[in-house]
Amino acid sequence: MTTIAANVRQPLATALAGVGASVYAAPPEALIAPAAIIMPGSPYLESTIIGKDKVRVKINLMITGAVAYNANSGALDNLEKLMIDILGAMPNGYEVGDVTRPGVTTVGTGNFLTADLSVATYYTQDN
Amino acid sequence: MPTTIITGRDVSFTIAGASYNAQATSAVLTVDSTINTYQTLSGKAYATTDTQGTFAVEMLADWGAASSLCESLWTAATSAPNTGLSVIFGADSGASFAFDVQPIQPSAGGTAPDAQTVSLSFTCVTTPVLTIS
Repeated sequence: MTTIAANVRQPLATALAGVGASVYAAPPEALIAPAAIIMPGSPYLESTIIGKDKVRVKINLMITGAVAYNANSGALDNLEKLMIDILGAMPNGYEVGDVTRPGVTTVGTGNFLTADLSVATYYTQDN
Repeated sequence: MPTTIITGRDVSFTIAGASYNAQATSAVLTVDSTINTYQTLSGKAYATTDTQGTFAVEMLADWGAASSLCESLWTAATSAPNTGLSVIFGADSGASFAFDVQPIQPSAGGTAPDAQTVSLSFTCVTTPVLTIS
């Protein structure tokens, strides 16, 4: 039996393993920067394929790149490098969209400069 | 009578025996009628003189994949361009149409960020026959 976690998010995380950052296949409870986090997009699951013999959905995901927010210029440079690395590591079978404008995110006591890359793929549920 | 709703998810079809359910995002069968109008002494009279079916398919391209549907269509259109392909089109369970279409070559390519898609408009070479079960 297939699952989105095992057959989509984890393989994507494995493909991103070489970007020089902590890669999370799901939102983590604590963040170690630099990091690439695979998050659900919106809408998350879309039924775009005909037929009801199997459940087939388009999965919209966001890959959030996060770097330590210490100095503005250094943080932006690090985030740009990280997002370029993520774009370069994207595997086949994914629609690769845009990277959002960076913003500062606070997780726990840490500040991070983050940006989101929208990606999408298709998934068939096999029971 | 309660309202009945069927959607695109109820659609399924095969071309030359191959199911397109995994790749197709839309499939529409349309039959246009040629209707002649005659003005008679007792008013207008109408006569249908011809019908022509069109089968429109939107699908995700699968060039290069194992058992590629795009490659099958291309091969059929180039190797036997005048041999019809049999289609079984189900609008819902219990209502299916059988007809043949003239093979055509699918498009290839797409825009950078998006999945490659193929739009096909087949000409029906036999009149669709509805089977109700």
